Amino acid sequence: MNARPGDAIPEWVMESVRPERMRTMAAILRDPNPVHWDRKAVAALPFGLGERTINQGPLGLSYILNMLMDWAGPASVRRITMRFPKVVLDGDRVTAGGRVTAVREEGGERLADCEVWLARAGETPALEGTATVALPDA
Amino acid sequence: MSAPPSAADIEALVGHEFPGGTYTIAHWENFLLTECTGSEPLPDGLAHPAVLFHMPILGAGTSIGGMFALGRAESDFSIGIESYDWEILRPLREEVAYDVRGRVTEADRREGALRGGPRGTYDRIRFRFELREPDGAPAAVSTITWTYLRTA
Repeated sequence: MNARPGDAIPEWVMESVRPERMRTMAAILRDPNPVHWDRKAVAALPFGLGERTINQGPLGLSYILNMLMDWAGPASVRRITMRFPKVVLDGDRVTAGGRVTAVREEGGERLADCEVWLARAGETPALEGTATVALPDA
Repeated sequence: MSAPPSAADIEALVGHEFPGGTYTIAHWENFLLTECTGSEPLPDGLAHPAVLFHMPILGAGTSIGGMFALGRAESDFSIGIESYDWEILRPLREEVAYDVRGRVTEADRREGALRGGPRGTYDRIRFRFELREPDGAPAAVSTITWTYLRTA
């Protein structure tokens, strides 16, 4: 795979963040925090979020992982570091995006360092960070 | 309700080690988690990398609730994510018994605005979890940094 600094990574879109997936995820994670499964608990918070559950951070991060794996392969991700400036809510349409910042050789692999993010249309990112993926030979 | 922790209480968490243990990602667990991400199942028994949140926590012998309690969170709503840093040294796979060790590497009290909110007091705790394959080879490292808002 050819990749050069400045290349855009094909976007990955979650058309609608679904609350039932947050509930399943909460059970898998053994996450007791009701903000992920109780809309009324979120509405009671002083943040004006309305009756919409808050997506788990790792679930938002997983959309970026999906973008990277669709681009470079299912075993390609070597590192990802994310910050979470905003929450993602049920019903949101979010797009994962990224850009190659460097390509280098390490440990016999060709690695691409990338800026990555997840955002609602027209907004600054809800998640942002960096990732390193191993580029396939072909 | 217990008294809120002092800054010294929080700083004393550095070095705290969880019991440790092993964790095996079951096929059903990986299937459901991968579906939650919106992806098709991965090939060849690969686990979705998003397992790197809960697998190290549970494998190390703690839980999300246990980590809230360790930092004496005022409530579930007082916890915020500063960052997650996941290093994958070998692809993670279903049905492999990973050895997991976890500990607190940083903990301190800070003043500032979280997520654009008003300035306030919060504690910042960093957890580091290391995963090894059954033969001892390093497989992954998950570093979780959470904030614990203090209002009391």
